[in-house]
Amino acid sequence: MNMELSRRQFLRTAGAGIAGTSLGAFGFGGVEEALADAIRPFRLTNTTEVRNTCTYCSVACGILIFSKGDLKKGEKAEITHIEGDVDHPTNRGTLCPKGAALLDIVHSKTRLQYPMMRKAGSDKFERVSWDVALDRVARVLKDDRDKNFIAKNNDGVTVNRWVTTGFLAASATTNEAAWCTYKVVRSAGMLVFDNQARV
Amino acid sequence: MSSISGLQPDPSMIGGIAQPAYAKLPDPLALFATRSRRLAQLAAASEMKPYLVFLSALAEVQHDIQRDLPAPEGPDAETIARAAEFAMPPLDRGRFTLDAAFDATLERFLDGVRAVEKPLPAQAALDRVIAAGPVARDAMLRNVLTDSLPVESLAEHLFLAGALQVHFTRLAAGLPADRLAKLADGVCPCCGGPPLASLVVDWPQAPGARYCACALCGTLWNHVRVRCVVCGSTKGIGLQEVESGTGAVKAETCDECHSYVKVFYEGKDSGIDPLADDVASLGLDLLMRGGPYRRAAFNPFLLGY
Repeated sequence: MNMELSRRQFLRTAGAGIAGTSLGAFGFGGVEEALADAIRPFRLTNTTEVRNTCTYCSVACGILIFSKGDLKKGEKAEITHIEGDVDHPTNRGTLCPKGAALLDIVHSKTRLQYPMMRKAGSDKFERVSWDVALDRVARVLKDDRDKNFIAKNNDGVTVNRWVTTGFLAASATTNEAAWCTYKVVRSAGMLVFDNQARV
Repeated sequence: MSSISGLQPDPSMIGGIAQPAYAKLPDPLALFATRSRRLAQLAAASEMKPYLVFLSALAEVQHDIQRDLPAPEGPDAETIARAAEFAMPPLDRGRFTLDAAFDATLERFLDGVRAVEKPLPAQAALDRVIAAGPVARDAMLRNVLTDSLPVESLAEHLFLAGALQVHFTRLAAGLPADRLAKLADGVCPCCGGPPLASLVVDWPQAPGARYCACALCGTLWNHVRVRCVVCGSTKGIGLQEVESGTGAVKAETCDECHSYVKVFYEGKDSGIDPLADDVASLGLDLLMRGGPYRRAAFNPFLLGY
């Protein structure tokens, strides 16, 4: 970080309290006043611009997300625009059709926002709590593993395999999240596993 | 700043996507003419019309005096190599020496500005510059080259800055673009100057890339987007815009160093010249004065905000 630069003063003066501008120095002080009067009724609007990774696949294209509304001031932020990150070495600003439509996913009314469950025999999904969802997932996994776990192969060699369940993780996870996922899934004996969706 | 005539066939566009060039050197014969036209165009619909018309006339003088001007003495190969080795700007402002080319540039510029219509304070300052002896002029040139201008004689310094812009733009144009590399954040790779503003370009070979512009030598250098051009931080970058604006001019704010520098979007307005548009968007700076961010851009014709 170049702090010398951020502290740099371009204008200096020998006398305290003397202020000046380029416009004033050339004799255009009136222009400045007229502009100040004209601009006064206007307000500033704030946009936040952040980098992120496209959530779709393991190519992990860089994206820029623009939002209106300042979270730091307690306002509700709304994403207004998403585009390819031109500085990202993978995609250099380009996006595939899915990535280019990310904004529509963000605002989609049918987007999954909480756990939903379709009970056996039912024809519709119902909202459930995270506790219910996690308990249910754990129960089903445990039952399947208990039933189909292969501890030894036909030659009597210990293999500890669980091949009736597979696991697919997300592409926008961090290295650390991917590492944890790998440890959990492999420790359980699962072989059908992909940490990132492939295209 | 891109033009249709500058469109070059680029085979790398077929297989992959080209990496944006780090630096784009100025074309002195186009830069000031474009700037003058842009200022005149902006003046037509601005409360700042008298000032923009004046700056447009200055830029026209900057363009016109280049005809038959002796070529400036650029750095030799050894100096350029040494600058590259130690990550220093090849145009060393501290070692600037008066040569025949600059003497001619300054004389012609001051002569040209005489004929420009201007308010009395500007005329008086011009008379003082013309009457100043070589020692006084040299001291003022040093002030301009260190981006440290005294308020008391600002107008005099700005006339010298105008002549130095022409000289350094011609010097930068003679440098090898492919040998320029990043020196530090917010530093021009040619002359070491601070950024005037940044420009998200719409060039066919690098659409959407962001370039910082130098106020002295007119060089454009690539700077990653969503990254403060002053301190290099990527945290807390925001964009502020005048309500109901076109989206072509925004102030990029940084919560780390509490400064802002304007960013222009060529995709929203194809005629942008960073210096001209920075002056013409002074309204944004006036509104920004009410906020926590300080203007960190260096534009000689918009100092004091």
